[in-house]
Amino acid sequence: MSDNVVTGGGDTLVPSGAPAVDIDEPRRGTSWARYTLGKAGGALVSLLMVIVLGFFAFRILPGDPVRSLTHGRRVSVDQLEAIRRELGLDQPLPNQFWRYLTDLLRGDLGYSYTNNEEVSRLILDRMGPTLLLTGTAFAISLALGLWLGQRAAWRRGSLFDRVHTGIALTLWSVPTFWFGLLLLLLFAGTLHWFPTGGMVTAGANLEGLAYVLDVAHHLVLPAITMAAVVYAQYLLVMRASLLEEMTADYLVTARAKGLNEDRVRRVHAVPNALLPTVTLIFLAIGGLISGGVSVETVFSWPGLGYLTFQALSAPDFPVLQGTFVVFSAIVIAMNFIADLVYRVLDPRLRTA
Amino acid sequence: MALIGAGAIVFGGTVAGAGAAAAEEEGAQARISLTGDVETLNPFLSVLSTSDSILMYQYEPLVAWAAEDNSEYPAIAESWEANADGTEWTFHLEPDAMWSDGEPIVADDVIWTIEAIQDNDALKMAKGSLVENIESIEAPDELTVVMTMENPQAPNPGADLPIVPRHVWAELDDPAAYENDADTVGSGPFIITESSKTNGVTMTANPHYRHGEAKIGSLVWVPYKSSDAAVQALKTGEVDLVDGLTIAQFDSLDGVEGITTISAKGNSFSALAINPGAKDIDGNDLGDGNPVLHDKVVRQAIVRAIDNETLRAKILQGLGDPGTGTVPPRYPTFHWNIAPEELPLAYDPDEANRMLDEAGYERGADGVRLDKSGNPIDLRIMGRSSSSNSQQAADFIGPWLEEIGIKTTVSMLSDAQVNDESVLGRYDMYFTGWGMGPDPDFMMSINLCSSRPNADGSGATSESNWCDPAFDELYAQQHSETDPEKRAALILEMQQLKYDAAVNNVMFFDARFQAYRSDRFTDAQLQPAEGGVLLRQNGPWGVYSLTPVDGAGTGDGAAADGGATGWWIAGGVAAAALVGGGIVLSRRRSQAGDRE
Repeated sequence: MSDNVVTGGGDTLVPSGAPAVDIDEPRRGTSWARYTLGKAGGALVSLLMVIVLGFFAFRILPGDPVRSLTHGRRVSVDQLEAIRRELGLDQPLPNQFWRYLTDLLRGDLGYSYTNNEEVSRLILDRMGPTLLLTGTAFAISLALGLWLGQRAAWRRGSLFDRVHTGIALTLWSVPTFWFGLLLLLLFAGTLHWFPTGGMVTAGANLEGLAYVLDVAHHLVLPAITMAAVVYAQYLLVMRASLLEEMTADYLVTARAKGLNEDRVRRVHAVPNALLPTVTLIFLAIGGLISGGVSVETVFSWPGLGYLTFQALSAPDFPVLQGTFVVFSAIVIAMNFIADLVYRVLDPRLRTA
Repeated sequence: MALIGAGAIVFGGTVAGAGAAAAEEEGAQARISLTGDVETLNPFLSVLSTSDSILMYQYEPLVAWAAEDNSEYPAIAESWEANADGTEWTFHLEPDAMWSDGEPIVADDVIWTIEAIQDNDALKMAKGSLVENIESIEAPDELTVVMTMENPQAPNPGADLPIVPRHVWAELDDPAAYENDADTVGSGPFIITESSKTNGVTMTANPHYRHGEAKIGSLVWVPYKSSDAAVQALKTGEVDLVDGLTIAQFDSLDGVEGITTISAKGNSFSALAINPGAKDIDGNDLGDGNPVLHDKVVRQAIVRAIDNETLRAKILQGLGDPGTGTVPPRYPTFHWNIAPEELPLAYDPDEANRMLDEAGYERGADGVRLDKSGNPIDLRIMGRSSSSNSQQAADFIGPWLEEIGIKTTVSMLSDAQVNDESVLGRYDMYFTGWGMGPDPDFMMSINLCSSRPNADGSGATSESNWCDPAFDELYAQQHSETDPEKRAALILEMQQLKYDAAVNNVMFFDARFQAYRSDRFTDAQLQPAEGGVLLRQNGPWGVYSLTPVDGAGTGDGAAADGGATGWWIAGGVAAAALVGGGIVLSRRRSQAGDRE
């Protein structure tokens, strides 16, 4: 769970004085191509940085993987040497880097020290559960945040506004771990409404509908925990950007035409106010993959967040590198898409 | 959206407990919470205790550790003997023993297992050190295995090494890549039948187990990532056995109906190590320990100033056992059994002050003693931030050392960093702890001069960065002493020697807290029988001995009832949301149309 709101996706283009191209006019290929290429180039440079950083950054971490693996166990010097050879850690750093690079180009993320599995398979295995959890939580928090945000802005200063902003901010500031544990104690431990952890009932081997229901049953608490903690950012961004639009002249026009308040808000103000949230949404989608370490830990969810967390303590370099590169690549890709979508949404950016 | 979709289709029909029905046909199912991931089920690769604790139920070694008292006990071998100097060990296999698939267990299985590890680096990962001293291994007949050792060896080489079935493993192209997670073959009481990251690991009773089939039909290891959740699961009945509780969790379960808690003798100690002047394998100085600690008197005064029994009272609420030597009381044969007040360096701050005065460490104006160069003695204490016990202990030790004129600075670091710094001797004092098996040989060996690391920290690991030729000599003697009593006496002497060096103040021997649903299972065999553990034994006895209580459900009964309630509520909320949403939408649609 990234507890910091990321803002700004790339460079903001200052609208020039040139007349805006109308949305229905055929686009001028050159400018589109140039814009896209520029953004793609930027994304590619970022990706290269990530690949290099991914290798070296984690090697600054304290700890010797081989020692951690064998800590407190009966090992001999020969055995340590054998493990070092086995993991390729006996090679000089440049060799290790070269191997990492060539493997990466072949799409091979290496082999985990602690899990005895291909890193790519580890990531794929855990990606499903993580996306299910984060996706559900994201959908809930987005719907809730945007809906409450626009209502709160429209009735700024009202009781509704104060209460909802207050609740959202309170939830935003509680520690995820603690909040999750609280829900677990109450709804799983005391009331027995939901299971205490996991994604399915272990050893039950359910199939078909029973399996779907079982997963959904396990999903309720972690998804609610995750959504409750993050929906505030959507609420606040929506609220703020709608407030900016509320004094705009075109709303006066709309009201003058006799439209009811509800329509003025939905059809006129909200679409314009949605722009800043688009950035936020794309950034959030990029972050979905990394999951929520705290939520996954509290609810024993078999996802990626926990995998990364564990890899840090070893340190399990291949897993750290792999997850770092994959997550970063997804964030970079999402940013790139956000840039393109932005251009479609905001006519002011379409000036050649 | 998934949530609403799921909730909306719930009308009647409970969900949880479906697995229980299947298990009922094959006998009861015991569910054990598994904290931490299973990194592999391949016995050659499993280096983390989580996996080892599962594999212990599937593969037997030649020689096991008895449930009663952790003494050597027949497993694949029914008897064994060593020659006088421990250079040749002979094992006689139990005739008519079978693998879980009905194949006979023979000498070839043992030989294949050992040679596979010796010949293949990839298989050395977990058990390499166990076979290093085996020079050659032969089978004069199907039921006899003779090992010739490179160096004399008193510790039984047949202990701790899980033997795998040759007829399965020899067929594999790459044994190191074998997952061993479904339809496996073993000789222990339970065999892995399936495993997945989400489903945990399921094991079923082995009908051919040498002591008879277990009374429970299957075991499920349920993955939990936080022990708090596991405790809740025990309360709701989603799991039946939980290990590794904190003292707070242990207290919260104490007296809960249907649950029995166990406060067992652990297999580890918690200690404060004191740097006596670390040196590398070539005898060059290593690290940056404060030179004042090279003086044994200072180290002994520090031990004298620390009240270990108060630490045990505060940190373990008086549970666990008083710290003495290295071997915990779980292994009475080698444990130094002495009352805390009778220890040579028992808590006595006045004596500590007297020693320091006598040695000429005078106090400065602020009460802090000065070292021989006239600098105030200020020692660093390092600990793992992941250990609340260390933080607690540091809070007490600081003021105690202040009483004898020694200033301290505490820093809590990540586990990996503490490992690094301690190996390289970059500490004055640090909190440490070691767990050990029933034979103390390895634990002793990491105090040899030859266990000191290379200058860059690679190579061996020294437990306390201490080296004493007298200790080395005793080690060599016990390592080839085949008379058990004489060997025990030597091991005791070694512990006393190390204690006297004051390089490792054992604060206490840890307790291990566990709990299980005694309303579902009875007759749990603890190891050792007195004050022992049920889970994480040196052997499969505890879980193997569990007897289902007549009429008790097969697990998650509570979860099943609660599950239904949860569903009705979730369903109700979802339905309300759908209906509400529908009304809003239809109202909207009715006024749609006029685009402005």
